[in-house]
Amino acid sequence: MKTRGAFALSRHAVLTCWTLVTLFPIYWMLMTSFKHSGEWVTWPPRWLPHAPTLENYRAVLAPGTSTFELGRQTLKVLKPLWDSLLVAGVSSLVAVALGSALAYSWARFGTGGPRYPYNLLTIRMVPPIVIAVPFVVYYVTLRLLDTYAGLILVYVATSLPYVIWMMLAFIDDVPIELERAARVMGASRFRVVGTIVLPLVASGLVVTFLFVFILNWSELLLAMTLTNTEVSTIPITLNKFQSANEGRAYGPQAAIGTIATLPVVVLGFAIQKHLVRGFSFGLLRK
Amino acid sequence: MSGVRLEKLSKTFGATRAVREVDLVIPDGEFTVFVGPSGCGKTTTLNLIAGLETPTSGDIYIGADRVTDWEPRDRNLGMVFQSLALFPHMSVFDNIGFPLRLRRLPAAEIAARVAAVARTVRIDHLLDKRPATLSGGEAQRVALARTIIVQPAVFLMDEPLSSLDAKLRVEMRTELKRLHASLRATFVYVTHDQAEAMTMADRIVVMHGGVVQQVGPPLVLYNDPVNRFVAGFFGVPAMNFLEGELADGRFMAAPISVPVGLRRAVGSATLGVRPEHVRVTSGDEGWPATVNLVEPLGDETLVFLDHGGPASLIAKMHADEPIAAGDRRRFTFNPDKLLCFDGGTGERIRP
Amino acid sequence: MRAGDPPAPDRRAVRRGVLGRLERERVFKWIPFVPVQTLFVALLLPNFLLLVYLSLLSWRITRGAWWNAPFTGLDAFMVAIGDERFLWALARTFLFAAAAVPLELGLGFGLALLCRSPFRGRRVYSTILLLPMMIVPAVVGYDLSMLLIDQGPFNQILSVLAGRAITVRWLSDYTAAPLAVIGADVWQWTSLTFLIFLSGFAGLPQDPIRAARVMGATRWQVFRYVELPLLKPVIAIAVVLRSMEALKIFDYPMLLTQGGPGNATETVAVYLWRVGWEFARVSHAAAMSLILLVAVAVYVFIAIRVLRRERRRLAAEGIA
Repeated sequence: MKTRGAFALSRHAVLTCWTLVTLFPIYWMLMTSFKHSGEWVTWPPRWLPHAPTLENYRAVLAPGTSTFELGRQTLKVLKPLWDSLLVAGVSSLVAVALGSALAYSWARFGTGGPRYPYNLLTIRMVPPIVIAVPFVVYYVTLRLLDTYAGLILVYVATSLPYVIWMMLAFIDDVPIELERAARVMGASRFRVVGTIVLPLVASGLVVTFLFVFILNWSELLLAMTLTNTEVSTIPITLNKFQSANEGRAYGPQAAIGTIATLPVVVLGFAIQKHLVRGFSFGLLRK
Repeated sequence: MSGVRLEKLSKTFGATRAVREVDLVIPDGEFTVFVGPSGCGKTTTLNLIAGLETPTSGDIYIGADRVTDWEPRDRNLGMVFQSLALFPHMSVFDNIGFPLRLRRLPAAEIAARVAAVARTVRIDHLLDKRPATLSGGEAQRVALARTIIVQPAVFLMDEPLSSLDAKLRVEMRTELKRLHASLRATFVYVTHDQAEAMTMADRIVVMHGGVVQQVGPPLVLYNDPVNRFVAGFFGVPAMNFLEGELADGRFMAAPISVPVGLRRAVGSATLGVRPEHVRVTSGDEGWPATVNLVEPLGDETLVFLDHGGPASLIAKMHADEPIAAGDRRRFTFNPDKLLCFDGGTGERIRP
Repeated sequence: MRAGDPPAPDRRAVRRGVLGRLERERVFKWIPFVPVQTLFVALLLPNFLLLVYLSLLSWRITRGAWWNAPFTGLDAFMVAIGDERFLWALARTFLFAAAAVPLELGLGFGLALLCRSPFRGRRVYSTILLLPMMIVPAVVGYDLSMLLIDQGPFNQILSVLAGRAITVRWLSDYTAAPLAVIGADVWQWTSLTFLIFLSGFAGLPQDPIRAARVMGATRWQVFRYVELPLLKPVIAIAVVLRSMEALKIFDYPMLLTQGGPGNATETVAVYLWRVGWEFARVSHAAAMSLILLVAVAVYVFIAIRVLRRERRRLAAEGIA
């Protein structure tokens, strides 16, 4: 019995350790977002803001564009926020709509062949830098560079593999006899999908959407390569001026970081349990 | 007039021929049961009739219509599935009313008809519940109500009772027969359970390997099977089979030798005799055997006899006759109830 | 209620038109396939062809349009193969992955092991431990770039723990910077492997485990002979997922050190970015991309085989 107590103690010790490691950066960013510029870089570092302030938030949320003048960075997040929302939102919606339909078609009719979902995975496995190079040229020629449509299309294409894999897991849960019964009772195939299948996979659709949204919201490389001034997502904004040796605006950056992260964390928690079902590629038992 | 006719119906899945050139007429108003082991093609045939699968070749007629190319919803059928397939996200009321909603009938009429049907199958107190909360028997009746409400001419049923416990199954069998009598519709029923087939069918269709073996009323299939497979399929315990030779109108498998009245037949053969036609004698009549095992069933007793052959012979005895394992007894066959099958093809050898 | 009552007016006559045609299975099943495949073909195929073509040119953006650039065949490939910096970047990328992924797997597995049975406070721990994977990687990059400055809080903590002043120059030291990048990856993605393994443990069938314990197996034996084999598919997923992503590392080196100091954290993605965007040597970037693609393809091929084999195995065992 003594070992039980010792075990429980060491378990708590280890877990607490890693929990602290986990929380530390998050805590720091949160605190920095409330600090005056004078407190951003001090020695010894300030663990709690001396006089917490909302000025960082006010600054980034004010309209305007991010600039780097006179050795000072000014970061604005309104437009990037909107751009990220638009791009991630639309691309995820389209990807979920198309991908779910395709997943259904594959699950019921085998469209695309037995290996199709695996083939799609290969798209996901290609490092984005590989396609980034020709993509710029391609988009310049098509005049899609630095457009919303251009980035959205790319995100749809890269999200589809995940959508299909995740929705396959959810569609497998709908017994095919339900659909057969409905068809015999007089429902057309479209009706069957709308009245029987859709309600039963509704939660799966939400989870998949949120998952893909988070993915696209966080994407940096393709966004950097395919946009310039017209479209500017949040990760790009964070990356701006990172190479500057002085005048780094840690406070506003922290504010942006928090604004960018909060919604995603909330959404992420909502879909946690389902996440693993989704990317188990059919290998995890229910 | 809504019988079902199948003409040279075939269905192949890749390399498997699930249904082979089936020619069948299911008369209007009859309770026809398709029976056979798993994989024999009975469910595929049902799905073909329903339109859930398209035939590789052949035609299907419902009534006077050639429905081969029709979508399931145009065929005016009712179908009950093994898993019942109740829509889990809809209430019982919505489940039953679904086909009417699809036909865009006014809400008032839907409500009236659902109520009427619910009363007939005695589930009117369950209309607001969800399928997950129902018992096996209740769910069954909801599934039935769902099919009755559109007044189809043909009812298709794919092993609807297999998920029920034994007692409920017997109740539902009677319920279904009663329904059939009152609706006077054509029932096409699929099962792997030969007892169900025997008790419910007007006619039975036995299938094996995608081919129809025999069609006929239950007692005909029981007493006059057309091949060894059909003979062995019906009856519990199964028919006894003895391998031996036919010559001079006698069947011989040492030490057994019986006259079978098939003068012209010669060669290897299988003798079939049902347990109820194997008589354990009390005297010196018959061939010797040792009693291996005794299974008292209450109304009768099953006796397993070791007669020197490769398998035990099963005999039925009255419950009050004394017998025990280890006894040395003698047995005979009822000479009028012997069936002979060709040793190679299994076909029945008739006089 | 009698059979034979006429059904609703002949529906076959009523419903025709586009929808009727569309729903026949032959057509129905292609409806989503067509737009998706069109998207892939229109977007990804020309790109790939373009990539190959660009790699056969000698083109710098500064020198005009690409269709005017001189065709130089495999020159760019020769340069690429001889480009030491490229090869180092490749090696570095694999090294980072090789360092980070086992750490993430080990940590995630261990943490999941600790959290698998219910105990007081378990929910709090797992909630917190799952946070990092949901944070935008660019934010993580920025965040750590702030924490790891010479006079930053991280160094302060180290100093406190070590008892003496420690000033590791995480962002500007040649050996420390790579550690920072690996650390960022581990910090963020251990939470993912933790989640995967947690679900794996939760999904273990209890009967074989109980049977083994009744047979007299110790905790360790049950783990080694029953649980671990049953976890194989889960481990396969975690390995494939994480290694796939680890090879693409871009966000952390970009935000932390921009590939520096020198090339200390220059992963292949960062280097190719530089070649293409900073040096504008597009053809070289294209050639190197192709070589990278080949390297990854081999890896992907193996990964997919593993996944499919595990899936087939599970089907054969009758569990999945």
